Amino acid sequence: METITVEEQNKTALAREMMEKLVDRRVLTALEVCVRCGTCAESCHYYQSDPKTEHTPYYRAEQVRRVYRQFMDPVGQAFPGWFGAKPTTDEALSRLAEIAFSSCTLCHRCTFECPFGVETAEIMRVMRSVATACGYGPEMLVEIANAAIAKEENADLFRDIFLDQVKELEKEVQDKLGSSEARIPVNQKGARLLYVPLAGAHTIVPQAIIFNIARESWTLSMFDTANYAVFLGDITKAKRIAQRIIKEAEALEVQEVIITECGHGYTAMRWDAPKWFGHPLPFKVRNIIEVIDDYIRDGVLPVNPATNGEPVTYHDSCNLGRKGGLLEEPRRVLRAVVGDFREMTPNRLHSYCCGGGSGLVAVPEWKDIRMQAGKLKADQIRQTGAKTVVTSCDNCRFQIGELSQYYDLGVEVTSVSELTAKALV
Amino acid sequence: MAEEARQEIKADQKINLEGLLCPIPVVRVSQAVKNLAVGGILEATATDPGVLADIPAWARSTGNEVIAMNRDGKIITFFVKRLK
Ligand code: SF4
Ligand code: SF4
Repeated sequence: METITVEEQNKTALAREMMEKLVDRRVLTALEVCVRCGTCAESCHYYQSDPKTEHTPYYRAEQVRRVYRQFMDPVGQAFPGWFGAKPTTDEALSRLAEIAFSSCTLCHRCTFECPFGVETAEIMRVMRSVATACGYGPEMLVEIANAAIAKEENADLFRDIFLDQVKELEKEVQDKLGSSEARIPVNQKGARLLYVPLAGAHTIVPQAIIFNIARESWTLSMFDTANYAVFLGDITKAKRIAQRIIKEAEALEVQEVIITECGHGYTAMRWDAPKWFGHPLPFKVRNIIEVIDDYIRDGVLPVNPATNGEPVTYHDSCNLGRKGGLLEEPRRVLRAVVGDFREMTPNRLHSYCCGGGSGLVAVPEWKDIRMQAGKLKADQIRQTGAKTVVTSCDNCRFQIGELSQYYDLGVEVTSVSELTAKALV
Repeated sequence: MAEEARQEIKADQKINLEGLLCPIPVVRVSQAVKNLAVGGILEATATDPGVLADIPAWARSTGNEVIAMNRDGKIITFFVKRLK
């Protein structure tokens, strides 16, 4: 008989408590309806790149099902051996955490191929939450989430650094536009839009060029949209990180919050935040691509596609595309701003994950896993013959940049906003 | 930070983060600091202005210290001391 320590007992109790809390009707359906037909295997980029049983969606979900049955199912509780359920020890929890964090990017592709629509990603998301609560969340993801909270707690300290940085970037925008009138407004009460960037200049300068040319009423957020607590399944922290932007938008009385090209940041604010807070947000949330698409439709951006003459392809970020529904908007913009746009196959709802989603790019130990799981994406990019890959997510951007080096693709990776700005100046 | 002051800080390890975008500079700094002995100093250069706030925020939340940060054109140089 296995010996279980007191610490393990406490973790087991916590894991049970978390599961009871998080397994709602949607997750319960995902746990119960799988008939193990195997149809979903080919839909997963991990399996496609290395066809092993452990890389199938149903294998992963099955590991969680066993724990669920041990905890929640009366038959499983009485006869754990019937379902192969084992006592939830330190080793078992650690193994489940590894499956949930490193071997599933929560891309939801398998759900679209499953005849019953089983949401394996939602099962994995619950497992991530359980693992994080029990102390098995990847350290690096925890550190990045905590740093975002530290920025909010010390907002006064970071305000001056931020404002200095904005002044520098404003000068860059003015130089590019040849106009000293160009602005990067901050804290503009009553502006129509609050634009939320990521930490880097590539998510501020091109968008500022676009907003200035479109004569938009906008203001730049003091915070960035990244919310790594989402990857951890730590909803308490995720709410705190989202709350910074919500408070800012409310104080500035903006009509819309516009999220930069960041897959998880967009889905978190647009789809998850209203659920976390239990009410709709008092402003509209859209992605910058939707705004650029409107500008192009309305003829306010004089874009010249000849500026971007090299062949370009688009990688659908799973968060923005399959989960967020932004499938045509980036394509309409790209067709307007590049001379030679080529589709990757498959694309849109059926696009494969790049292999770096859901926080994997931030954990250095998982680079080998990422490179292997991204092989399929690398092959698809190569087949397009494109010299530039556009993607609307910084995680995908980093992963595809590394895939390019690893598989010698020789491609540049950029965003819709950057190519649009390039077609303007 | 004056050039003389910068030269006075003796780093135990140097890393180049130029061209890397968020959150990778934080990831690489965290990794490098963990490889230092307590009291050790890491020197890093970066180009993403996001590090100006992200590295101090990360240091604050992990109990480490940014002892100097300097910007020279596009290049940002900073020193992190491992405190625990
Ligand atoms: S396709 Fe659906 S039902 Fe079939 S094994 Fe996969 S998850 Fe289960
Ligand atoms: S959600 Fe994506 S990564 Fe996870 S099992 Fe399904 S296809 Fe694979």
